[in-house]
Amino acid sequence: MLYYLIVCRSLTYAQRTAAALERAGITARVLRSPKSISGEGCSHSVKISQRNLPDALRVLQRVGLTPKRVYITAGDGSYQEVAL
Amino acid sequence: MIYLDSAATTMQKPAAVATASAWAISHLASPGRGGHWPAMAAAEKAFACREEAARLFHVKDPERVVFTFNATHGLNIAIKTVAGPGSRVVISGYEHNAVTRPLHALKADIRVARGPLFDQKGVLEAFRRELNRGADLVVCTHVSNVFGFVLPIEDVAALCRVRNVPLIIDASQSAGCVPVDFTGLGAAFIAMPGHKGLYGPQGTGLLLCGVDPTPVLEGGTGSESRKQSMPDFLPDRLEAGTHNIAGIAGLLEGLRFVNNLGVENIAAQEGMLIHHMKKGMFSIPGMNVFCAGDSSVQTGVLSFCAEGRDCEELGEALGGRGVALRAGLHCAPLAHETAGTLETGTLRASVSAFNNVREVDQFLRILGELTAKG
Repeated sequence: MLYYLIVCRSLTYAQRTAAALERAGITARVLRSPKSISGEGCSHSVKISQRNLPDALRVLQRVGLTPKRVYITAGDGSYQEVAL
Repeated sequence: MIYLDSAATTMQKPAAVATASAWAISHLASPGRGGHWPAMAAAEKAFACREEAARLFHVKDPERVVFTFNATHGLNIAIKTVAGPGSRVVISGYEHNAVTRPLHALKADIRVARGPLFDQKGVLEAFRRELNRGADLVVCTHVSNVFGFVLPIEDVAALCRVRNVPLIIDASQSAGCVPVDFTGLGAAFIAMPGHKGLYGPQGTGLLLCGVDPTPVLEGGTGSESRKQSMPDFLPDRLEAGTHNIAGIAGLLEGLRFVNNLGVENIAAQEGMLIHHMKKGMFSIPGMNVFCAGDSSVQTGVLSFCAEGRDCEELGEALGGRGVALRAGLHCAPLAHETAGTLETGTLRASVSAFNNVREVDQFLRILGELTAKG
């Protein structure tokens, strides 16, 4: 299944992001970022399903939680950055 | 035991505090240090605690709620962020050593805005005078740990905002006891312990950050691990090393207790007990009681001396009769100097939401017996 990972600057920021999405009815889960997309080392991401990205971005813009980077899973298990 | 030392530590806690801490010890790992359930559950607990604190203190962004080991830890971060050698720092005449010792260590130019005990207008005027002479920083306790005197913090904050002077508030005796509005005050930092009016375990504290801080500890944060400098974002910037998750789990329950009960209700209960206590003390011969005429400027802390009695010896005698309170200088020689009790010290009785009138009456009876002449 395809899904998006919203990479966050900190665990707490990821938790705020997930909480805001959940409050808006969008299922969101905090997880450790895959090494290949974690940037400066360890980071956390929020996982959302493919169909929820537009709504999620609208919600996050409304509450002032700008995503750092967003990635989508590719069929081969790698990640591709999404231009926002 | 009649426990009247809550200004040091609230020993009686909601039962959920110990339950949560004990559970955390055997079920939770380190927040941010793994994707497994115990680590993620620990992260959820820490986040819930930040959110609960943010709700109580009106902090818009829970990332600005930082976990510390105690208020002293938070005050050190705050003071060392804003002040340096030679900085002109205005402090109240009621500060604790947790404020004055870091300032002395920094070799700051300390100016004391000294106002009379229980005189908010006098204190405010003293701050105005000192601020008009120029200041790089103001550090002010919200409530005196010795006398329970509520300083006019909203007015001091307003003076600082107008002059664009950063303000650090020591909320050690006010957090959970009287309302504290971080957003409304516009402070650079507010530091507080978790183990007093917030009913958390010892070894917990919170620092509310209004400005970007300088860490006093560097180390692992579970974030940006390739970088050899501390992350530039909160809370990670100030939270190096493993969290006290057992303490945080307990603190969360303490914060929930305070939020559910309501700070105003806690303040009213403690105010009633102190009023009852001081009335009782007035009827004991030879008591010198430090209390406000206007009860709204005093919290659940009452200092007193007994004529002709050494305060430490009387404190010891009370302890022998099952009354726990604190005697001496309470780590606040400046406050005693301001009130004129530096040489004698005082005995300090302090209450929490778990005390009642019956306990106060028993304490008064024992105090009367111990101080009766002949």
